[in-house]
Amino acid sequence: MARMKFLCDADRCIECNACVTACKNEHDVPWGINRRRVVTINDGKPGERSVSMACMHCTDAPCAAVCPVDCFYTTADAVVLHSKDLCIGCGYCFYACPFGAPQYPRVANFGSRGKMDKCTFCAAGPEADSTEAEYAKYGANRLAEGKLPLCAEMCSTKSLLAGDGEIIAAIYKERVTQRGYGSGAWGWQTAYRETVEV
Amino acid sequence: MQDERQSALSRRNFLRAFGGASTAAVATAAFVPTEAHAYDPGEEETRARYQETDHVKTFYRVNGYPKGK
Repeated sequence: MARMKFLCDADRCIECNACVTACKNEHDVPWGINRRRVVTINDGKPGERSVSMACMHCTDAPCAAVCPVDCFYTTADAVVLHSKDLCIGCGYCFYACPFGAPQYPRVANFGSRGKMDKCTFCAAGPEADSTEAEYAKYGANRLAEGKLPLCAEMCSTKSLLAGDGEIIAAIYKERVTQRGYGSGAWGWQTAYRETVEV
Repeated sequence: MQDERQSALSRRNFLRAFGGASTAAVATAAFVPTEAHAYDPGEEETRARYQETDHVKTFYRVNGYPKGK
């Protein structure tokens, strides 16, 4: 069974934010919510690096572990989804998530935040596939249409990869082999030395 | 005086007895343990949506290096 994964090739990301825009447009994401965003470190300095971040659809998702109403579930293709009918907007998942993926539509009195919203890997939610009700709550269901997340499909530099974990890992491995060095991520040289030996 | 105290006590006893019985009844009804049910989305909702269509294969092909080089 294929396991859905995102992989951002930080050597290729040019911080164009097309993934962010594509996501917001495809799912009609309301103001104040970014299901995906681009994080840049060392901005304007040598060694600047950008990486596109969203829900990473963790295998043992900490958001699901802390949810008091147990509204998260993992699909057979390893996409972490949630039910907005059950979500009480408590915000625990936001504190638990190491990627800051869960977002809330409003900040109001008495800590009211509204229903949590996050990247769905373009697989929407528990409603019937590709219905209006599903779109209104979770956005488009591209996976059911035989497509992949639009953020990855729109990426101008082919930095953001999405799909079957084994296939995109093989694509990334081929890139690393071709260019002769790794991602520059912390710990890369410790793990793989200066150059890549395959 | 004695009668007044007696009647007052009986009133209190009545309230205490009545209140205690009703509280116990409410408590019994409220704390009957029921089995907790986690959200079970069902097989239809959790089934795999991913399909390796031509569209998806094209994505993989254009993201990799051209074959045969």
